[in-house]
Amino acid sequence: MPKFTLNVNNKQYTVEAESDMPLLWVLRDLLDLTGTKYGCGVASCGACTVMIEGNSALSCQRTVGSCVNKSIITIEGLSEDGSHPVQKAWQKAGVPQCGYCQPGQMMAAAAMLEKNKKPSEEMINTVMSNNLCRCGTYHRIKEAIHIAIDEINK
Amino acid sequence: MKKIKIDRRHFIKISSLSSGALAIGFMVPGLKELGTLSDDCEFFQPGAYLKIDKKGKVTVFVAKQESGQGVDTALPMIVAEELDVDFKDVNSEIAPYGTMKEGEHDTGGSQSVLDMYNRLRKAGAIAKAMLISAAADIWKIPASSCAADMGEVVNTVTMKRIKYGDLVCLAAKLPIPETVVLKNPKDFKLIGKSEKRAGLTNILTGKTKYGIDLKPEGTVYAIAVRCPVLDGTLVSVDDAAAKRIPGVLKVVSYKGTGAPMHVRAGVAVIATSTWAAMKAAGMLNITWDEGKNNKESTEQLFKTFASKAKETPAIPVYKKGDAASLSGKNEIAATYAEPFLAHATMEPMNFIASVKGDGCELWGGLQLPDWAVNTIAKDCGLKKENIKVNLSAMGGAFGRRLHFDFAIEAVRIAQQFDKPVKLLWQRTDDTMFSPYRPANYHALKANTDGKSKIFSWEHHVLGTPVAYKTEGTDTKNAPEMDGADAGFCYDIPNINTGYTGVDFNINLGWLRSVDICVNTFPVESFVDEIAKQLKQDPLAFRLSMLENRADFKIGEGPGAMTQSPKRVAGVLKKVAEKIGWNEPRKANHYIGLATHSFIFAKSYAAHAIEIEMLEPKKFRIVRVVAAIDCGTVINPDGLLNQMQGGLAFALTQTLKGEITISDSRVLQDGFFSYELLRYDEMPPVEIHVIESTEEPGGVGEVGVSTVAPALCNALAAAGERPRSLPIRNEGFRWV
Ligand code: FES
Ligand code: FES
Repeated sequence: MPKFTLNVNNKQYTVEAESDMPLLWVLRDLLDLTGTKYGCGVASCGACTVMIEGNSALSCQRTVGSCVNKSIITIEGLSEDGSHPVQKAWQKAGVPQCGYCQPGQMMAAAAMLEKNKKPSEEMINTVMSNNLCRCGTYHRIKEAIHIAIDEINK
Repeated sequence: MKKIKIDRRHFIKISSLSSGALAIGFMVPGLKELGTLSDDCEFFQPGAYLKIDKKGKVTVFVAKQESGQGVDTALPMIVAEELDVDFKDVNSEIAPYGTMKEGEHDTGGSQSVLDMYNRLRKAGAIAKAMLISAAADIWKIPASSCAADMGEVVNTVTMKRIKYGDLVCLAAKLPIPETVVLKNPKDFKLIGKSEKRAGLTNILTGKTKYGIDLKPEGTVYAIAVRCPVLDGTLVSVDDAAAKRIPGVLKVVSYKGTGAPMHVRAGVAVIATSTWAAMKAAGMLNITWDEGKNNKESTEQLFKTFASKAKETPAIPVYKKGDAASLSGKNEIAATYAEPFLAHATMEPMNFIASVKGDGCELWGGLQLPDWAVNTIAKDCGLKKENIKVNLSAMGGAFGRRLHFDFAIEAVRIAQQFDKPVKLLWQRTDDTMFSPYRPANYHALKANTDGKSKIFSWEHHVLGTPVAYKTEGTDTKNAPEMDGADAGFCYDIPNINTGYTGVDFNINLGWLRSVDICVNTFPVESFVDEIAKQLKQDPLAFRLSMLENRADFKIGEGPGAMTQSPKRVAGVLKKVAEKIGWNEPRKANHYIGLATHSFIFAKSYAAHAIEIEMLEPKKFRIVRVVAAIDCGTVINPDGLLNQMQGGLAFALTQTLKGEITISDSRVLQDGFFSYELLRYDEMPPVEIHVIESTEEPGGVGEVGVSTVAPALCNALAAAGERPRSLPIRNEGFRWV
């Protein structure tokens, strides 16, 4: 099997994988970074959201081959201790129920705020509607995003 | 072992059996020895529910399974309250399987707090009493001169203090007291104050391990392909192409099971990665024998419902007075229908099994682990006592993991491979092969005085009973959807309710709110319809049938539940007041109301929904007001989370949730076709909690049932009443 060198959370990893293996399964099965979740595998839920080169990306839709030489950030690398403004906001709003979708939600929010510190309500709606939460934590996600916006614009 | 009937009554039965039976929970084997350790003891563990270490850190072992409902926080709060410790010093851990009495791990029916409240209070109080005794011995004063405060025992004479951590070794040597005094709820410091979820930081940093994230040493990955028709069989499989995929280790097949779980016959690819297994599974060429029942469809099922609805119900459910004699007098009749639904947890089903000889080790989430272990032992030819279970957090459950079909599959696959096998259901599998919430149909009829009163109420419920699958069509437990039964709150003199079950070839299970949800939509819609016909105000009309009715018992004996029409009225009045029911409405704005009793969880909830009509059949939800009366609230923040989440769950099924079947195959295969409510569709909600000192009720399911009827009643006020869910099928659109 071919070998790939990946930069995940500012660390170099070498993995052996079929070149069409989605980044999602590389992270989860080969690197044991299980914070990135599988929800559908077909770009319908956002559970697998990570950041690639600072952009929000669905890791189920990116092959390992396409991720070489790119900076990949997963929930484990957003901060080590939960101190990223998005994580702190999520903490403050008490967002999670089961929590399964939340890494994806936070990565999507963090990537959005990286690009735009004061996103419009419309933009927040568009971005966050790509991430499903079956537990229905949407009110609190909204609240948390606004806490994070206030925090980073302080 | 007695055959278990799994519905909410099952949980009631278990809790009434075990509550109060043991002062402090099931004793952990070997605990006696722990209790006699000397001063170099590690911790003090007076029972299965908690331990305290020498630093004063408390660990509460949570018997109930966490899937987002917050039992990992609410249950430790109950212990901490009686123990008088700072909640910051309390950790929450999953109670290891086997350390609880049979049935105590069972999680469902919103029963967790009801089931555990008194036991956990006692457990906390006993531990506290022992710590106080230990301190009293040191000070050589009577225990009555000591008090507990924030993790310390206080000498009330000298005001000296000793930390719990410094007392654990002494306390561990003391006998467990036979009686303890529980706190007066007036003195609660923690119960009733919001606490953040246990393990929140782990969730937010991606460290929480759900079943899907576990990886015992040597784990290999499996993806299965299942017979598209329930109870079909495998004829042959050509796995040549699949085996050529790099990473594939083995292709195995396994037989289906009948009741209770109806595992489908399958072929599984075992590989070194999930991806390799997925790819190879797609290349299997399988021939199935679908059996005789491979032509069923939901289209036909609803036709069958409609025609059988006109017949006499197969099973009488409840009768009061003589409804039939009034037939024809100012009569109003209506029908309502609700589809099959899938749980669609965000974490798709998965399970890990490692089999050695006649035993196995299991990893994953199970709502009913005891039933799972008993059945796995039987279905897979293993010894029950050699099955070890490691329970994990669940990425949502909503009743899905009351079933354990996926666990049986994992064991059957692992029986053919010498390593721990992690079976994953792809999203397509999760949508297409679930145990679905039964489809149902309701024919209602009422006779009135033509002015303001209902004389008689007839409800014929038709459905595809879960028990037909878990027990067989000869079951005595078929009427799962009981409509206006003995607990019906509206004061109507003549009631006749019956049920007709229809056999249908798809697996069936319990979904959040179970039959309460199924019945609240037709009942609360129909009441509204009658009010409209009588030109009565829907609020006043309901209250006239609730407010003057005294509490009443459902059934007899000590287990009889008390139903409270006044509490049903209380939540209704609250939402009406808060949404401004009696205030003038803006042009094109309409409000709908609905209320109900979730009697099994001793809780009551109502919703009021305001909509704005934009065009005929096109609306916007302006706002939602909810009220809940669940007695004493343990964790208000957790309650709000459940009510907010319940709204999203309910809106999904009101607006768009539907599983349809053709040729005995489910037509939806994931989130594109089985759509869930999305972020931008979530309307604002206000939640009001009725203050109460009644014993605590459950909350997980209570905020679901009244959403659909409240919305449909608003739409009816605007002109057209939806008769079936999801309302999208009737041409309704929303923004
Ligand atoms: S798993 Fe990638 S979008 Fe659902
Ligand atoms: S918190 Fe459970 S799916 Fe979002």
